[in-house]
Amino acid sequence: MRARFVIPFVLLIFLSGSVRAEKLVFGSFRSSENAHNWAQKLSTLFATDIEVTSTGPADRLWFRVHTGELDTRTKLALQRRADAGGISYWTLHEHSPQDLAGSRVTRPQRLTPPAGQVAPAAQQETPAEAAPVFEEQVPRGEPEAPMAERATPESQDRSSHDIEWDLGLQSRSFAETGVQGQDQFEGSVSVELEYYRGWQDDKHSVTFSPFLRVDSADSRRTHADMRELFYSRVGENWDLHVGARRVFWGVTEFHHLVDIINQTDLIENIDGEDKLGQPMVQLTLVRDWGILDFYLMSGFRERTFPGSDGRIRHPVRIDSDADYASSDEEMQIDGAIRWSHHIGPVEFGLHHFSGTSRDPELRFVGDPGDLRLRPFYHVIDQTGLDAQAFYGDWAFKIEGFTRSGLSDRYAAANVGFERTLVGFLGTRADVGLVVEYMFDERGDEAFNTLFENDIAIGTRFQFNDFADTEALLGVIFDADTDEYIVSLEASRRLTDSWALNLEGRVFAGGRGLRRNTPLGMLVDPDYKSAWLQRDDYLQLEIKKFF
Amino acid sequence: MRKRAFRLLPVLVLLAGVTAIRATMAAALPDSVSGDQVATNPSTLGRQIFAEGELRHNSNYEDFEVSLRMILKSPSGRETLRDLRIRQLEVPDAGDKVLVVFDKPANIRGTALLTHTHITREDDQWLFLPALKRTKKIAQRNKSGPFVGSEFSYEDLAVPELDKYDYRYLREDQLEGHPVHVVERRSRDEYSGYAREVFWIDQDNYTWLKVEYFDKDDGKAIKVLHLSNYQSYGEQRRKPHLMAMHNLESGKSTELHWDQYLFSRGFSADRDFSVSSLRRAR
Repeated sequence: MRARFVIPFVLLIFLSGSVRAEKLVFGSFRSSENAHNWAQKLSTLFATDIEVTSTGPADRLWFRVHTGELDTRTKLALQRRADAGGISYWTLHEHSPQDLAGSRVTRPQRLTPPAGQVAPAAQQETPAEAAPVFEEQVPRGEPEAPMAERATPESQDRSSHDIEWDLGLQSRSFAETGVQGQDQFEGSVSVELEYYRGWQDDKHSVTFSPFLRVDSADSRRTHADMRELFYSRVGENWDLHVGARRVFWGVTEFHHLVDIINQTDLIENIDGEDKLGQPMVQLTLVRDWGILDFYLMSGFRERTFPGSDGRIRHPVRIDSDADYASSDEEMQIDGAIRWSHHIGPVEFGLHHFSGTSRDPELRFVGDPGDLRLRPFYHVIDQTGLDAQAFYGDWAFKIEGFTRSGLSDRYAAANVGFERTLVGFLGTRADVGLVVEYMFDERGDEAFNTLFENDIAIGTRFQFNDFADTEALLGVIFDADTDEYIVSLEASRRLTDSWALNLEGRVFAGGRGLRRNTPLGMLVDPDYKSAWLQRDDYLQLEIKKFF
Repeated sequence: MRKRAFRLLPVLVLLAGVTAIRATMAAALPDSVSGDQVATNPSTLGRQIFAEGELRHNSNYEDFEVSLRMILKSPSGRETLRDLRIRQLEVPDAGDKVLVVFDKPANIRGTALLTHTHITREDDQWLFLPALKRTKKIAQRNKSGPFVGSEFSYEDLAVPELDKYDYRYLREDQLEGHPVHVVERRSRDEYSGYAREVFWIDQDNYTWLKVEYFDKDDGKAIKVLHLSNYQSYGEQRRKPHLMAMHNLESGKSTELHWDQYLFSRGFSADRDFSVSSLRRAR
């Protein structure tokens, strides 16, 4: 060890102890020029400072090529890169002084390009701004308080809790009275609460989220639901959830075909995006080859339907009882498994579901004087796929399944793309164009969907303003019957805690219900939207968040 | 020999105290060393300066968590804010993983954004929408678009992997009387919104003090970022706690007020940054 390192070492032992420093040495040269050439190559390769130091007796100098002092992490990173490049090195251990505050004592070598090599573009830059923007700048050159002690990990026993709720006031206005004279207006109030409590650094937690709506017109739309009430245990690469939850599967925008875990809260909205909480045990495994979800479900939730005073409903009353294919009825145990993964630009999920179908067949019951439709829930097996791939500003999407258990096995699919134009026409807004095609192999026989051969075209506007204004305008067009549905959804924030949502739908192009005969009330399978033709509406909702 | 002076001097002045050291060094040391010890090519030199900053301030951590308040200001003085939390995990030899969770405003509360950064290819990014419980992969083309309505774009806040840019050393300069390196950076990503970015980098400690952004289409300066309130968290961790972005065209600005960083949270890639973890991000 050379003297110049011994002296500081001895001095510092009395002051603050020492830190063992390591450098990587990439060779020693007799020629200063060779050493500097090698140093320059390495500094380019590793994008880090490489120094040259002379060593040895004055008449037989060696020029050593090495890094500065390295911490273990940086050293390992450099070693890995050197190994990969087939560059040999050895480690030089030195004891170097560190000051009390832990910052470097040696002044960093300043990199300065030699005169004449500075890029000529320098004059193009706008001059430095005259004044700093903030008053709070830390004075330069002041030693900073060491903050390392604040960086220690907190106790691993942290618990947390959180309670939030929102209140919604909603009005729905219809263009006409209903087929059976229902009102043109309905108002409602909704409350949704979310309570969360976590223990042991959120490894254990409970989530509780009830929902309630009170409606002025439709007694059935006055309803409550346990959206979520579950316990979670989070492991290193697995999660376990027990209780009522909501789970979403799928990639398309207009119709959520493969999303089967939860029952639709149809009375909330016909778009199928409001869901009832489903009791389940869910186990998630995270692996290198993707994510595996296992679901065991029981306590089936029946679909909600509007009551006789409600709107956007079938003209025949829906019975409040339901029939099941399974003898266990709602206590039947359903199972599902989903594997999802992403490889490069492609993301996909494969699933199998076995159990009671979420979408019922509506069967006529009762006598002609008291005709009703009773939901019948089949037991099905569904195997399906959802995937999307990104290429530049294009996203290609597909959802599809094959399902058995009804009569014959059948298939259904949604395919489409979305193209996003960032900074549309030089503004801050992003505009997305969505085109999707919905297909059901059964065609007219498809009793449980409106979309058996339909095309949807939509435009999404994201204004990127302070109020986060967004809008989605879409048209779903039936290729066989010329029926179409125009829908608009828009939202913006009014203040930090108030938000406004607007939604409107127009049902048009098809044939209305044939009147004046009891059987005329029955829907022509070719014109599935017939019973919606008088239900064009505009819905305004104002929400307050607490 | 000059090298020898470098090593001896701090030792001699150490006993006089830290303040004395700095004053003495500033007076006694030459501003630069001879050019043949450092790279002379402007692009290599520019890259080295970024690498040096990265090494000094950004390399000695495994993970961190930090809260952040974003204040959006219009030219007329209207203000709105967003509160968010960021968790980041460094993955050696792969890109970092970043999770952003929104707390305010209330109507986007629980919205979360997960990014898996990649060194050589496009990042993967997912958005979690709490109302639908939906996890949605988002197109990387969006990176030049505004981040939650602010003057920052997604790419301004992305983890700056060294190899995703080309560099050019422009000049030495002074910023508010302080010596800086002025270095230009150009993204290799075709979807970047910028023709180039120019950084004013502190010559003493390689922190970024100011960044100017030039539009991809017309090459004009469109935004200026000032970074200040740097704090050190021990060796090789130095973070700005105030970042203010001014849009030169619209007059709008966004300030990022960073809370204290918490390091060594013990995050794990599978537990805290997998796509499935996004569903329970909070």
